[in-house]
Amino acid sequence: MSAPSRPSRILRGLAGLVLAVGLTLGLAVVPPDAVQGEVQRIMYLHVPSILTAYLAFTVTFVTSLLYLWKRDLRFDAVAVSSAEIGVVLTGITLVTGSIWGKSTWGVWWTWDARLTLTAILFTIYVGYLMMRAFAEDPPAAARYGAVLAILGFLDIPLNHMAVQWWRTLHQPSSMLRPGGPSVDPVLLLPLLVNLLGLILLYSHLLLERMRLERLRTEAMALRLTRGRRG
Amino acid sequence: MGSWGFIGLAYGAAAVALVGYFVFLRGRLREAGEELRALTREGGRTKR
Repeated sequence: MSAPSRPSRILRGLAGLVLAVGLTLGLAVVPPDAVQGEVQRIMYLHVPSILTAYLAFTVTFVTSLLYLWKRDLRFDAVAVSSAEIGVVLTGITLVTGSIWGKSTWGVWWTWDARLTLTAILFTIYVGYLMMRAFAEDPPAAARYGAVLAILGFLDIPLNHMAVQWWRTLHQPSSMLRPGGPSVDPVLLLPLLVNLLGLILLYSHLLLERMRLERLRTEAMALRLTRGRRG
Repeated sequence: MGSWGFIGLAYGAAAVALVGYFVFLRGRLREAGEELRALTREGGRTKR
């Protein structure tokens, strides 16, 4: 097995360092929220997770479009790799949100528009990954996968606007909103540091997951060459 | 459960998910690397 590349190792080291600083700030340095108290510290993980998941699915969306345009499987490799990491991050968002909801609202789950659309986003991309995993014809899987990834991405703007368009239990956006974040700068700092840490971690994982695609493609090419010879 | 119990549960679950994914990815990388090495070795023998 080839080792992780130097940029990938640097990204992993930086991610660890930045996340350590962010978690220390969020859990031990900044004061508790005036309204929610200590439990608001879950937001230092919950919000960066979903924002990084949005980034991952945006990469999948763009590279899926590029694949359909150029028919270059390298774009597809980026799309599927990024989607897999996006699913992990969305799963973390759902779980941490549910735990926060239990402590604040008194329930683990409610069919609120934001929560439901996040669960749908998770389900769409889990379906995308399952379709990719079980497909027997890689070019066809890449083509159908690209279409599904592009359609699935439409859930993100809908999810983001859900708290403004409908009456929801989930609070309005506090980060990606017109006029800038509404969070107090002291509480915003760990959130931004953890966001940077998760983006660095995502970049490292993306490089590693793409390396896996490369190894699999090389193995498949060798099998095909030998099959033709045999 | 108190506030810190919920916080511990949330951060613990996230850590399990991330470390779990990291280990899963490394395992798949190792398997793919071993398969590629085996195929390359067999290919070399066939050529000779």
